[in-house]
Amino acid sequence: MNYWLFFPELLLVGLAFLLLIADLFLPTSRKHYLAFLGALSLAGVAAAALTLRGEKVSLFSGMFLVDDYALFFKFFFPALGVLVLLASVEYAKKRLTHTGEYYGLILISVLAMMLMTAAGELLTAYISLELLSFSLYIMAAYERDNPKSSEAGLKYILLGAFSSALLLYGISLIYGLAGTTSFEGIGRLVQGGNGPALFLGLALIIAGLGFKLAVVPFHMWAPDVYEGSPLPVTAYLSVASKAAGFALLLRLFATAFAPLMVDWQGVLAGVAAVTMTVGNLVAIQQRNIKRLLAYSAIGQAGYLLLGVVVLSPQAADAILFHLAGYAASNLAAFVAIIAYFNQTGHEDIPDYAGLAERAPFVALTLSIALFSLAGLPFFAGFTTKFYLFLAAAQGGFLWLAALAVLNSLISLYYYLLIVKEMYISPPPPQAGRLPVSILLHGVLGVLLIAVFLIGIYPSPLLTLIQAATRPLFF
Amino acid sequence: MSVQLEHYLVLGAILFAIGFYGALSRRNAVAILMSIEIMFNAVNVTFVALSRYVTPTLLTGQVFAIFVITVAAGEAALGLAIIIGIYRSRATVHVDEMDLLKG
Repeated sequence: MNYWLFFPELLLVGLAFLLLIADLFLPTSRKHYLAFLGALSLAGVAAAALTLRGEKVSLFSGMFLVDDYALFFKFFFPALGVLVLLASVEYAKKRLTHTGEYYGLILISVLAMMLMTAAGELLTAYISLELLSFSLYIMAAYERDNPKSSEAGLKYILLGAFSSALLLYGISLIYGLAGTTSFEGIGRLVQGGNGPALFLGLALIIAGLGFKLAVVPFHMWAPDVYEGSPLPVTAYLSVASKAAGFALLLRLFATAFAPLMVDWQGVLAGVAAVTMTVGNLVAIQQRNIKRLLAYSAIGQAGYLLLGVVVLSPQAADAILFHLAGYAASNLAAFVAIIAYFNQTGHEDIPDYAGLAERAPFVALTLSIALFSLAGLPFFAGFTTKFYLFLAAAQGGFLWLAALAVLNSLISLYYYLLIVKEMYISPPPPQAGRLPVSILLHGVLGVLLIAVFLIGIYPSPLLTLIQAATRPLFF
Repeated sequence: MSVQLEHYLVLGAILFAIGFYGALSRRNAVAILMSIEIMFNAVNVTFVALSRYVTPTLLTGQVFAIFVITVAAGEAALGLAIIIGIYRSRATVHVDEMDLLKG
């Protein structure tokens, strides 16, 4: 067996521990070097992954797959990790203690997500999912002196562990039917119409993963955890963990459960419809911007599920494409919110009054990010949603596609409420300009370019994505 | 009457249901964690039984159970650490008193 194929993961483990050791020797005033060290490490891991192009092998008797699908995420997740690390620096300096371990946890969670997308059987998938969840539980509860943060951590771990148990019970039933845990073996051995055990197993797996992805009716934890967690963690949760969950879900359903489509397609279609509608309708009533974006993220999960329901090659492309567009837009929105929060400590929507005068670039990026999330043309959201809804309509789910378009219109309303506060409401008296660090400006600039690039010139990304989803279907 | 696969599966299902009920009905965070541990152990019973009867020559299910035990231990440690953090600042571990975060 060629261990070189496992090199990016091994490298990341080593670098994460190196960062934790370096943390011991740095004085508190210099901890932010670790964020840059972490960003460099992730860039190095992505560069190491470049050598794996075009490979299609399985390691450790099928537990770990090296293919273009996993490879795509070996660039995607480190890129997200770098952006979150850089966006955390100022926040961590002001509000977090033990920042070195915080940066270390980000590296470890990136590793977990890379493993999750490369898993070829249920045990590996489960262990890497737990590695990701554990890092996120700790990060959610990271502001020890803030009772909201601990409360978020507690709610997250209780519901997360509960959902793990559901997922595991589902896995055990599927294992009993198939006699194997490998995705490919399950796809080969389990026939449809196997009665209640198969149905219960599938339902429990959908419920367990549904909790992690925050789809209705398993979404109750998301708004509370998003509101209570430190802001950069919320940003990371809403983008990275969602992307990793969908990457796993897509591989699982495309390779293991595709022959059983009749058993789950209807259920999943219902979940998708309810998720996007509830997410967008409840978002309208929110005053706290983190809660609003939590519900908006639930709505986005509904759109992404649309692709899993259809499960054609085009739909798989559309899922990855929408994930990339959503990640860029949502992260841009969150980085803008972080920039504002660092200076003011406010996170309610009325507090954003007059932001266009106080920090024009931040207000502009936030507006563009929100327009992109709503799906207005020229921005990433339009192109990616267009692909996704088109794939759904072609797959015979015209009603779901129509519902998704309707929901996008609803979402435009609550996104516009924020834009209205920033551009039309006058700033509070004696409010001066807000200083924003060069680093945050840089991160915002990069994300803004990504949003426009995906929106206007998507073909290079689409070519990559089409290569990435090929191993799922052939 | 000898013990068959069904008996183990029914035992697993009953344990899982007990844990499920406890996790949803308990108000004490520690009790919820304990209920979740019962659910994990129900899964372990199911895994080991299935491993023995469905794939007697392979140990997949038993290995899975060992990993589940390990992960459950980690989960409990992490959960208790967070509960202690909350207890220090609020002097309560009742989940219905955790109402700072509300929509």
